[in-house]
Amino acid sequence: MRELEKIEVDTLVVGSGIAGLQAALDLADQGYSVAIVEKAPSIGGKMISLSKVFPTLDCASCITTPRMASVSHHPRIKTLTYSTVDAIKREGKTFTASVTRKPRYIDEKECISCKRCEEVCPVYLPDEYEQGLGAKKTISIPFTNAIPQLPVMHPEHCIRCGACARACPKDCIEFLQEPAPVEIKAKAVILATGYETTPMTAKKQYGLGKLPNVISPMAAERLLAPHGPYGRVLRPSDGMVPGSIAYVQCAGSRDKSIGVPYCSRVCCMYAIKQAILLSGSLPIADITIYYMDIRAFGKGYEQFYNNARAMGINFVKAKVARITEDEKHNPILRIERQEGDSAPAEVKHELVVLSQGLLPGCDVSKFNLGAGLNDFGFVQLSDETVSSAVTAGAGVFAAGVVKGPRDIPDSVVDAGSAAMEAASYIRKL
Amino acid sequence: MKVNPELIDEIKKYGAFDISACFNCGNCTAVCPLSKEDASFPRKLIRAGHVGMEEKITSAIEPWHCYYCGECSSTCPREAQPGEYMMALRRYLIAKYDITGLSRIFYKNGWLQTWLALGLLAGFYLLYSSYTGDFGALAGKIELAFPVYVTIALGGYIINMYRYAIVKPLGGIKASLKPAHIYETFVHGFTQKNFNGCEETDWTRWIAHLLVMSGYVLTLLISNLHLLSPLDKQYSAFSPVSLLVWYAGLAILIGGGVMSLRRVFKSAESSKFSHPSDWLFVATMFLIGASLLFTHYLNVAYGPQDPLLAKVYRLNIAIETVWILLIVPFTKWIHIFFRPLAVYFQHVKREAAAGTAFGFNLSR
Ligand SMILES: Cc1cc2nc3c(=O)[nH]c(=O)nc-3n(C[C@H](O)[C@H](O)[C@H](O)COP(=O)(O)OP(=O)(O)OC[C@H]3O[C@@H](n4cnc5c(N)ncnc54)[C@H](O)[C@@H]3O)c2cc1C
Ligand code: SF4
Ligand code: SF4
Ligand code: SF4
Ligand code: SF4
Repeated sequence: MRELEKIEVDTLVVGSGIAGLQAALDLADQGYSVAIVEKAPSIGGKMISLSKVFPTLDCASCITTPRMASVSHHPRIKTLTYSTVDAIKREGKTFTASVTRKPRYIDEKECISCKRCEEVCPVYLPDEYEQGLGAKKTISIPFTNAIPQLPVMHPEHCIRCGACARACPKDCIEFLQEPAPVEIKAKAVILATGYETTPMTAKKQYGLGKLPNVISPMAAERLLAPHGPYGRVLRPSDGMVPGSIAYVQCAGSRDKSIGVPYCSRVCCMYAIKQAILLSGSLPIADITIYYMDIRAFGKGYEQFYNNARAMGINFVKAKVARITEDEKHNPILRIERQEGDSAPAEVKHELVVLSQGLLPGCDVSKFNLGAGLNDFGFVQLSDETVSSAVTAGAGVFAAGVVKGPRDIPDSVVDAGSAAMEAASYIRKL
Repeated sequence: MKVNPELIDEIKKYGAFDISACFNCGNCTAVCPLSKEDASFPRKLIRAGHVGMEEKITSAIEPWHCYYCGECSSTCPREAQPGEYMMALRRYLIAKYDITGLSRIFYKNGWLQTWLALGLLAGFYLLYSSYTGDFGALAGKIELAFPVYVTIALGGYIINMYRYAIVKPLGGIKASLKPAHIYETFVHGFTQKNFNGCEETDWTRWIAHLLVMSGYVLTLLISNLHLLSPLDKQYSAFSPVSLLVWYAGLAILIGGGVMSLRRVFKSAESSKFSHPSDWLFVATMFLIGASLLFTHYLNVAYGPQDPLLAKVYRLNIAIETVWILLIVPFTKWIHIFFRPLAVYFQHVKREAAAGTAFGFNLSR
């Protein structure tokens, strides 16, 4: 273990998705000091890996990167990435968080982000940022617009060839680096730990993640992103340009048989968004969305849905019951056609996207902050009609999907609310 | 079409308490291995139930195509138990087809049938015990009366099923005389082969059924052909008739035992919900097997004059009497006849739709 680093701030923000970033900026701009802790090697959360966002079809990284940059350069914001919050203790009116900086195996202060190490490293790994669709080096900067631009080494895959160490002009490769403990004292805590999507293995009938051309919606976002793994939309099994693509709605929500009875709110909209983007990049492809009902919940969203219909995207009312594949890995969906004389049917497509739901990204009850959780593990507000950020724990606020599924505009709005509530709480101390 | 707003509550009285949770997604129909192009279920029937389309339900033959593999229930996003709904529909339909109205009363009143069965059993046992003449000869006559009674009961059911499933909806008497259709009906009747249409064959359930079925059919043969007269002569342990008895009794006991265990431990979707009549059915079957075995054992071991044998044999016949009178016509037993008939009626409907059915229209 390295020496204990001590930080004292007004507010600790856990999680640096769009909600955490926005809350940190709002507080810092008002003059409060903030420490933001992110477990991933880069700030930005889920939003930085999206292609474009509904309902405006703005480029997601064009909106996220400026915020990421503002946070990382802000004089009153201390950013800790690749760091885990191990515990938070409440002592009187202060919170003390024990945080561990995971080793990147480089000297973070010396590194000049030249990528020489990455260039020479001979070992490739599946790139989780690209949802496994691309490859990265064992020592690499997580993605092009990551902040900070610092490489991470994965010692479990490293063959100790020493090429990176020889190539590094600043001599910052540290094979023996250890985790570093950090202690953060703060007056308020904002929880912004976001979500994870329902795992591909959640539903037995959907192939348990073993069908190569049945992909997650995040993978679809990456296929559609301008700087995605292939630079265009190809299907994973054989690199073919898919001519017929299907979306399976409610693939990870509204299904008691997988233990997720609630609606995840954003999956109808992101599926429609992806379908629109796909018909842009694959103009002759057939795109079908199998849905139970379309929940276009926000301002302008119904219009967005109607545009998609007008563009020729097929909407079929059916819950997909089972997915299998033929010998060419073309997924086969089993549904009940409900129009006319309804009957069970099998439909073949070339690529299938499961519209998975949103599950809590972190079990925040482990921090014992007094913030209650609802039945599904999302943070419960003490009174939703009074505030969209105040929890039952004094000085503990919540922003973004940590409170339950919501989209980016809503996450940003209630990040502002969390910042405002935290500021007024600190002022009253 | 006439709508009956109370229909769904009526169906719920036969089981299927959770069906109101259904949000009509169609997962059940899509996942069901037995649902077909022209016999699509369960969702359509759930919908018909919810909106009160009584005629759609009473004329439905789809419930008889369902073998309760439980795929639909275990994958229903609302845990609405569509498989149990199909089971409830079968009970509902039996109650409809039943001219006596007894099925309806039994299904709706939990344990009534069981109490009645116990009462009747005691009554018949006392009656048979008080008979002073040659009981062996009387037993022979009683056993000969069984098939006559069952045929009449079954006939009533079949005529009514035909009325509801074909005559009413098609507005006439229709039939299909195609040999292939008649042949297939018989094949289904003997093998109940759709059982294995289920996605993951439930071998335990299938084998248990096979054991009980074969044991039961043998018991029928033994008693109705009057192969045994245990009060008149002694049988040797390995005579052909004895071998049949040993097999029949053991098969019923083992198969019935497995079925009951599955109900107790609710090990499959199909055995999660038990109606009292299901227990009665299994328990009586068990008793038939046990009393048959015991009777024959006493005969083989101690001869026809054994005093205990006289008692056990009377009990055996009393159980069989209650079985025939009360259990056979008013429980799941009757399903084995409706299933192949449903296969046949499906053909008739198909032929009628194509205009090639044999028959004539009744003016309404
Ligand atoms: C496929 C897909 C497409 C979407 N498209 C759109 C769209 O087009 N438009 C739109 O409005 N919405 C869209 N959404 C929804 C959108 O992603 C969310 O609303 C938004 O990203 C939520 O931001 P957040 O900050 O609450 O959570 P996140 O982005 O999940 O951020 C949470 C952060 O907390 C970190 N974290 C978690 N636990 C810890 C811990 N214990 N310690 C430290 N850090 C932790 C995580 O690493 C993560 O960086 C989409 C969602 C999906 C799945
Ligand atoms: S030492 Fe490890 S990280 Fe460095 S170049 Fe070699 S394999 Fe890559
Ligand atoms: S948003 Fe749409 S796809 Fe997602 S759970 Fe709700 S209804 Fe299903
Ligand atoms: S019973 Fe379940 S699976 Fe069937 S339609 Fe209703 S909700 Fe869907
Ligand atoms: S129990 Fe099985 S056979 Fe019956 S409707 Fe459900 S899935 Fe079909």
